Amino acid sequence: MTTVIRTRGLQKHFGRTVALDGLDLAVEPGEIHGFLGPNGAGKTTTLRILLGLARASAGEAVLFGSDPWTDAADLHRRLAYVPGDVSLWPNFTGGEAIDLLSRLRGGTSDTAVYRRRRERLVDVFQLDPRKKGRSYSKGNRQKVALVAAFATPAELYLLDEPTSGLDPLMEQVFNSEIARVVAEGSTVLLSSHILSEVEALCDRVSIIRAGRTVESGTLAQLRHLTRTEVGFVHEPGREAAIEALDGTHDLVMDNGRVRFTVDSDRVAGILPELARLEVRGLTIAPPSLEELFLRHYGDELTPVEEEAPA
Amino acid sequence: MTRLAVLLWQRIRRDRLQLALWLAGTGLLAWAAVTAVFDTFGEERDRKEILAVAVATRTILVFRGTPNGVDDGAFTFFLLFAWLALMGGLMSAFLAVRHTRMDEEQGRAELVAATPAGRILPTTATVMHGVLANLGLGLVIALAWMGAGLDPAGSLVAGAAIAVTGAAFLAFGLFAAQMFRTSRGANGISVAFVLAAYLLRGIGDAAGTPSEDLLHVTPAWPSWLSPIGYGQFTGAFVENDLTPLLVPLGFAFAVIAVVFGLQSVRDQGASLLPGGSGRATAGPVLSSSFGLAWRLNTSILLSWTAGAVAAGLLATSLSSILGQVADSAPALLETLRRFIGDDASIEQAFVAMFYGFVGVIAACCAVQVGIRARQEEAHGTAEIVLATPAPRVRWLLEYWIVGVIVIVVVLGAAGLAGVLGATVAASPDTLIPNVVQAAAAQLPACLVFLGLTLLVFAMLPRATIPLGWTLIGVAAILGIFGPILQLPEWMTNLSPFTHTPVPSGDDTDWSGAAWMLGVGVVAGIAATAAMNRRELASGG
Repeated sequence: MTTVIRTRGLQKHFGRTVALDGLDLAVEPGEIHGFLGPNGAGKTTTLRILLGLARASAGEAVLFGSDPWTDAADLHRRLAYVPGDVSLWPNFTGGEAIDLLSRLRGGTSDTAVYRRRRERLVDVFQLDPRKKGRSYSKGNRQKVALVAAFATPAELYLLDEPTSGLDPLMEQVFNSEIARVVAEGSTVLLSSHILSEVEALCDRVSIIRAGRTVESGTLAQLRHLTRTEVGFVHEPGREAAIEALDGTHDLVMDNGRVRFTVDSDRVAGILPELARLEVRGLTIAPPSLEELFLRHYGDELTPVEEEAPA
Repeated sequence: MTRLAVLLWQRIRRDRLQLALWLAGTGLLAWAAVTAVFDTFGEERDRKEILAVAVATRTILVFRGTPNGVDDGAFTFFLLFAWLALMGGLMSAFLAVRHTRMDEEQGRAELVAATPAGRILPTTATVMHGVLANLGLGLVIALAWMGAGLDPAGSLVAGAAIAVTGAAFLAFGLFAAQMFRTSRGANGISVAFVLAAYLLRGIGDAAGTPSEDLLHVTPAWPSWLSPIGYGQFTGAFVENDLTPLLVPLGFAFAVIAVVFGLQSVRDQGASLLPGGSGRATAGPVLSSSFGLAWRLNTSILLSWTAGAVAAGLLATSLSSILGQVADSAPALLETLRRFIGDDASIEQAFVAMFYGFVGVIAACCAVQVGIRARQEEAHGTAEIVLATPAPRVRWLLEYWIVGVIVIVVVLGAAGLAGVLGATVAASPDTLIPNVVQAAAAQLPACLVFLGLTLLVFAMLPRATIPLGWTLIGVAAILGIFGPILQLPEWMTNLSPFTHTPVPSGDDTDWSGAAWMLGVGVVAGIAATAAMNRRELASGG
């Protein structure tokens, strides 16, 4: 199987504003790919280029081996899209919008099967399909788009911050639907700035910032690049030995309590040392995506910011 | 007070360009009309003749006003007041809805209502803004007429009449915004109210009692139901009586009081006519992007068709009256011929004039179909449709097809209504083919506007709505007022409506139609070609 999505050096300019500045992205079949970045990083622009709704200024974007701009309609038979800010027709009900979009996607040819799928989704997402588009809240509009997306099977799901506006209960429903479609062999590209969501769902992530990819890989690979936080209480008089520990950073000693970080691949190396020091209340926290995120958007990355065009 | 000032200033800033253009355009029209009156009807004899024709035929009165003598001012007031009041009414109605229901619908009003400004103060600011706009319009018209050399006192009375009728329409617009859940619904009913007010006074004038010299008319009771009618009762430049304005002024005060009452008891975002719950599944029409385009345009089609049917019925039923008058007064016939051209018979010219209005209606409807496409794009719903296997070129092409259907339906309905009216007329056998031809003759100009609007949409998407309306507005003014204002030929020739054929039996010149058909089709093809190369332009 070939790569589902591949972009190389993707650029997009709006007048003098640079939205994408050499974005590389590769999404393999069957994976849930997290597309992480803060607001304005270029996530939505990338998705719109992948949908053929916008055209790249430079670089290459390939979807299922074809150009999304020229082959948009054919590619759209194979994918489902949920926009970040769902707009519905104010005078159509949610049910009408779901049916319309499903019919446009060609998912209603087997009426009975479609009916069943739709009914189940409306039920699990607790959506009232009789309300008019204008009277739905943001979360409910999101649900309408999600039901429409999941009611017709697709090879690829392009989801732009799909859970913003959903309550935690609905997020669980969403997660299980994602698990279902991936089990059926689909591929998912999930843009988000919510780290816990990506951490819970995704196999691989690409982190983008100011229109370019700054990190890409499996979560394990990315954690490799981070530091693990270690904390414990020590016996008096061991300060010098602790300070002498190899490979520690950000050491804080406060009245017998110690905290420091250590490169994640050296954690095993310091454990014998800690045993020798007879520390108590030892905690070792694995690096969170949060930390990864901060590392990429925090001060450490200033050089990239300088490279980015103003 | 400062909060109110902030809200008021925000409204003025938001509308500055729109209102400035509207005021300047109306002022220019008022000024140009006086110049034309001096040029075309410089002699008192000419004015007497045309007034006599108008009073005798009645039809002209529907589109003009109440004849009130041949003085410069009175004659100008007769020619133009109802039109100016109509424009002021549309300005006020759109203004009222724009700052109330539209803001509420889009959630902006909620942001403001959550500040200490609350729910009532924004409405107060909108009322003040609307009143200021109408005072401005009245002043501009009064100054234009004074500047053109009309009597200052009469000009001021006319200006006051414009401002007060506008305030009545402002009040109705605000009321409609309370009643309807959507700005589209509120705008629709407000425009219908303004047009009804215009037509009621037209009927009142046409059905009025003429004086013996055929230079004055006392309007019939329908005028008493119309704010524009009360504006005419001032008899500006002759009686200069402001007391009739108390009625529309009282109406405005009463309705605005009701509006504040409603505003203070209802929920933010709610309306007095509830939406209710709808169907859980989509009907068969919503099965394709074409079905969607059709569904989105049916309400537009229905309202414009109603207008076209009314115009069609009026055309044939009034032209039969015309026949009787022409028989009894051959001298009038000669004058009338000078007014409407040589090629066609009187009856044909009248039918052509009415169907010219039908053509403008159908073209407006076509423009609105193009604007609907833009609204879908700006609102974001085009994005979710175009993310399905619907290609963007086909999507635009479907709007074009819907536009063509809409034009054909509007013209067909008007033609059918005309034929129905003609069956009871004196000579249906000549009238009916004339009506059918006149209705068909409007098709090319409408196709031009459909094509142009879609071309603008494909090439300058963000300009679709203002440019679409401006194009048809300018073309309609050049086409309808151009000959009366004696504008140079190259200017009136810019308007597609000028090139619409006037059916006159076998001699009808259809070359203009062929040209416009070509332009319309080329514009449509260019639009789809441009659509193939453009991205989706959401927002703004």
